[in-house]
Formats: sequence, structure tokens, C-alpha cells
Amino acid sequence: MSLLLCRQEPVKTPYYIEPLGIRIWSSQELSYVIYHNPLLVMDGFVDEHLITFIRVELDMEFLAAKLEKWMNSKEDKDQLLFIILAECGYYPAPEQAKFRQNVTALRKLPQTEYMKQKGDYLFGRKQYGKAVAIYERILELPGGMAGKELTETIWCSLGCTYARMFQFSKAWAAFEKAYQCRQSEEVLKRMYYLTRIAEKSHSRHFHLPSITADQKKAWLKEISEAGERAKTSDSILKLEGLFQKDSIKRTAGAQKLIKQWKQEYRGMI
Amino acid sequence: MGLIIGLDMCDAYTQLSCYEKDKTWTFPTIICRCKSEEGWYVGKEAYACNLVGDGILVDKLLNLVSREGTATIEGVKYEAIRLLELFMEQVLKIPKKEFEEEEIDQLVVTLPSITGKVMDSFLYCGDYLGIPREKVHIISHEESFVYYILNQKKEVWRNQVGLFDLSPDKFCYYELKVQRGLQKMMVVAESFDLEESFDLDILGTPSGTRLADKILCSCGERLLGHKLFSTIILSGKGFEKQDWSPEFMKLICRRRKVYAETALFSKGAAFRGADYLEKKEGDSFTCICEGRLKSTISMEIVYKGKKNQLVIAGAGENWYECRTSMDFILDDSKTVEFTITPLDPKQKRKIAISLKDFPDRPARTTKIQMKIGFLDESTMAVAIRDLGFGELFPASDAIVRQEVKL
Repeated sequence: MSLLLCRQEPVKTPYYIEPLGIRIWSSQELSYVIYHNPLLVMDGFVDEHLITFIRVELDMEFLAAKLEKWMNSKEDKDQLLFIILAECGYYPAPEQAKFRQNVTALRKLPQTEYMKQKGDYLFGRKQYGKAVAIYERILELPGGMAGKELTETIWCSLGCTYARMFQFSKAWAAFEKAYQCRQSEEVLKRMYYLTRIAEKSHSRHFHLPSITADQKKAWLKEISEAGERAKTSDSILKLEGLFQKDSIKRTAGAQKLIKQWKQEYRGMI
Repeated sequence: MGLIIGLDMCDAYTQLSCYEKDKTWTFPTIICRCKSEEGWYVGKEAYACNLVGDGILVDKLLNLVSREGTATIEGVKYEAIRLLELFMEQVLKIPKKEFEEEEIDQLVVTLPSITGKVMDSFLYCGDYLGIPREKVHIISHEESFVYYILNQKKEVWRNQVGLFDLSPDKFCYYELKVQRGLQKMMVVAESFDLEESFDLDILGTPSGTRLADKILCSCGERLLGHKLFSTIILSGKGFEKQDWSPEFMKLICRRRKVYAETALFSKGAAFRGADYLEKKEGDSFTCICEGRLKSTISMEIVYKGKKNQLVIAGAGENWYECRTSMDFILDDSKTVEFTITPLDPKQKRKIAISLKDFPDRPARTTKIQMKIGFLDESTMAVAIRDLGFGELFPASDAIVRQEVKL
């Protein structure tokens, strides 16, 4: 059992981390974000803005100066992250070493694999626009990719990402490319799902490769189960709770929610 | 430089001294509202006003304040705190007028016994009088005694120092011991109310003085025993003259110096005021007496990856003025543990406060704000609030309040 003594950091203007959609208010939160999001922070996370935040808001002049010096030296940029973790003192030495190992391992990955992991990370953070850019860059890499399976995965991920952005035509095109690789049933299932979603909201009709009656039955069952689960999801329950409130609270809550959705959607694309 | 005032307030009398000024005032602790002039008088003027039938007296002000009482004068009900404000206002006018100085740099009030309630009242008085809070301090008679003695020549406190305080309302004995260690010098003072207290009126008759002398001798023999004293001090109204106690004087004058100082507590308070102004106490000695903590409270913490013992409050700190607020991050436990180290380190013990009702979160993602204060010298009040972890783990309303017996 131990307590970490926090230094006084009277932050007035927090630092906004767009991919996470959060503002950070302390050196501990900064360390936490770095440690838990290596793929986010490994490329250009430490920049002038962050250094200014460290200097002005966190009042860590020494760290800021050290980072600036390192940035100007043109040496390994990952070192900037290690310096922050070491100076903030939030993580003990073994965990700092673990983070260092993670970063090194990620750096050792083949370029396509590293980019795919980064794309998947951004997808997981609902940064769909950025994820699409990365998937497309992978597909455009000179020399092609190492195998049909990986190509299929990237196209499939791209299709899923477009689907999340409600760009169903592009999603369909990506799934078709993925399906052409190995005629995988998994891709076919996603294509089927897309037809179900898109046909409800769009007049567009997609020509699905032939599927068996058993496949259709199983996938419909999955869709139905997903629908049932969604009915009891937190967000739906919260929404239902909102509509049970009086009109003033309901309107205020709805405005807040719509604002949040808009922000989320803007962040996605 | 403004005035540094030491004010000794008892139920029977009040004494006022100023640092580096020779004059000391002593007057009864009473206040009187004058009917004809609609003004307020204190001390002897209050008696005079009352004697001519022009005013109504309120006495035992300190007692009234400690029990949050009221007094009705001319049909108007006055809260004790209001009367104390008026009393203090009138009292402080005296040195201001005498030394033609309006500014008060430090006001140190010394009381026979101190409680949070009475201390609060004096701080409110300071607010009323426009004296900033950092310039108002309340200390015990024991602490005044310490500061008075330590501001004398070293030979006075080379060994133990005893003090007999014979006041109209009680007879008290104080003892001071200086412990010179490798680190900081420690001064320990304690006091006892003596059961042999007597009415000072008996000193008006020869038989009464003989009896009083006998009582003092008996107390002296019992208290001084075979201990090594460098100095004995006589204080209080009863010792304004000492010729009525020849046997007692003979007893206490053996192999030690004896001084009489009737305004010891107010002068000691003024010395304390000067000390506050210079902020030098932190470097000179640790004072253990009433009003000061007798244990050190610490916690094991990690700072910049290293384990350390963080002292929350040190033995010898003024408990009333000792309050702090700190932020911590819980590592892997929902408990906060304090180490209480009394003067005798063998009695060191640990006290844990559970935060089991705080939300479950991953390790190191719960920041807590810990506010610590003291209700008296043996009770620490702790309030721990959940601050969450920024927007990553929002704060809850969870808060734990606990009193810890030291």
C-alpha cells in the first residue's frame, strides 16, 4: 500500500487530446495517457503545444526545457515519451521499462503491421476518418502486401470503418474487395449485415454474393440477438430515462445529448 | 513597526504587555455599559461607572464565551462573543493611545486553558477589530511561560524552572524542562491546578498569612522535592508582595534563583508575538505544552518514485494553527494509513482509514484530497474526498470524515 504525493499543478487551461476526446489536468493524467496509448503518442504527440502546456500549466519548466532540447537534437523521438514518464514520477521504474519495451516492440513491427495496429487503435477510439486514411495508406504501399489474408483484413477493416461513418457505398466497395481476396465467410457475413443496415436507411440495393439458407438464418439470429442486447444497453436505458423526465429536463437533456453526438460525429470523420 | 501585544486574559483579571515596552496594564476582566453616555467601559473605569449606578457590569467574560452564554443589559441581550469584541476593542485602545500607534503587528492572547470554541471567538474578535487572522494567535499559559523563560538569560533555564502562580481564582504550578538533544532543543512545560488554592483575602490577617505560608511550604516541598531547579518564579496577584510567606521563601531560595514577575504570561505572549513576526521558532526549539501537539503524525508516501515519510504535523506544532490540504493518488489500496509517533517513540502506532466506499478503479486512477485539522491537541480531524482522475475517471461524491485520537 502506498500513496503517491501529487505536486501542486494549478492548471487553468487543460490540454485537449482529440483522439481521446478528453482534457487532461495534471502530469499524472498525461503519464496515464502516454502509458495506455502508445500508438497514439508515438507519432508527433509531443509537440510545441504539449511542451507549452507542460511549461505553463503544469509548471514543469525543467521538463519542458529538456523536451525542447531533445526535440531540437533530432534524435529518437520516442525518447521524449520516456523523459516525460521519468520526470512525472507517476509510474515506477519497472512500469517505465515495460512501456519502453512496448514502444520498442511496436517500432520493430513491419510497417504494414504497425500501421494496421495504429488504424485499429484509432478505429477503437472512434477516430474513423483517421483510421480510413491509415488503412488506405497501407493499401497504397509500394510493393503490395505480404498476403491475401492481410489484404483481406485491411479491406474489411476499411469497410467496417466506412460503415461506422454511414458511408455505405464505400463500405460495400471495400467489402467487395475484401471478399475477392479469399471469398471468406466472415467478410460475406459483414456484407450481409451491411445490406440489412443500408436497406433500412437507403434506397440503394446491394448485390450480395449467394448465401445459403443456413447462413442467412444464423446471421439473422445474430442480428436479432444484437438488437435485443442493444435494447438494454446503457445508452438506450439512459435515453429512455431522459424521455421519462419532465419536458424542461427532457429538452435540456436532449440538447446536451445531441450536442454530444454532433461532437462525436465530427470527431469520427 | 506596529505594536506586538501580549494579552493575558483570565476570568478575574486581564494583563496587557507590549514587546520591548516597559509598561504593563492589569485590570479586572469586566465590561460595563454606561447608561448616560451609551458607551462601554472596561476594568477599573467599569467598576467606577457601576459604583455610581450609571452602568451594568458583566464579569467572567471568558467563562461566558466558553459556554456561549449571553448577558442582558438594559433589556438588550448580548451574545458573549459580542461582549468579548467590545471588551477587546476597549482594551486594545489602551496601548494604542499610550504608544500613539494604531497598527497592531501581532496580537497574542494567552489563556489559562484553551478550547477550539474560545480560540474561534478570539479570531472573530480579530476580524471585528480589523486585525488580519495571521496576526492573531491564541496560546496557553504554559506556552507563554516557555516563551517568557526562553527569552531570559540562559542560566535561568539551565536546569528546570518552576513557577507558582497565585491568582484570586486559582493556585497553579508550572514546570519547564529543557531537553538538549542532538537535533533540535526540546522544551517541555506542564502545569497543575493545586488543590490547596485559597482565597487571597486571608492574607489580610496575621493568622491567615501564617496559614497561607504553611500551605505554600507544603506545596513547595511536595513539588520541588529533590529536583534540580535553576529558577523559581512567583507570579500572580498573590505574589505582588512576598513578605507574608517567609518560610516558603526560605524553602524556594535554596540553591536557586527566585524571581517575582506578576505579568509573566502577558510578557511571555508578547515574546511569542515577536517570535511569530520573525518566524524564527521553526529553527530554534520544539515546544511541548498545552496547545501544542504531543505527537508527530506522518504518512508513508511515494514521491518521484521514492518512498518517504511525509510529516503531516510535527510534535510541538500549534494544533489550532496546524491545518493542511494535500492531494494524493491511491496506488493499489483503498486505505490511508497514518503513523502516530508520541514523544516516547516506543508508543508509535499506526491508524488506518478505510476508503471502501470509494469507487473501484484501476490502480493509481483515484486522486484524493486530504484535509487535516485538529479539534484539540489530541484529536485530529481528517476529511478525504474522491477527486477521480480528471476526465478519464470522473470524481464521485464520495467523502470520508473521521476523527483520530492521537
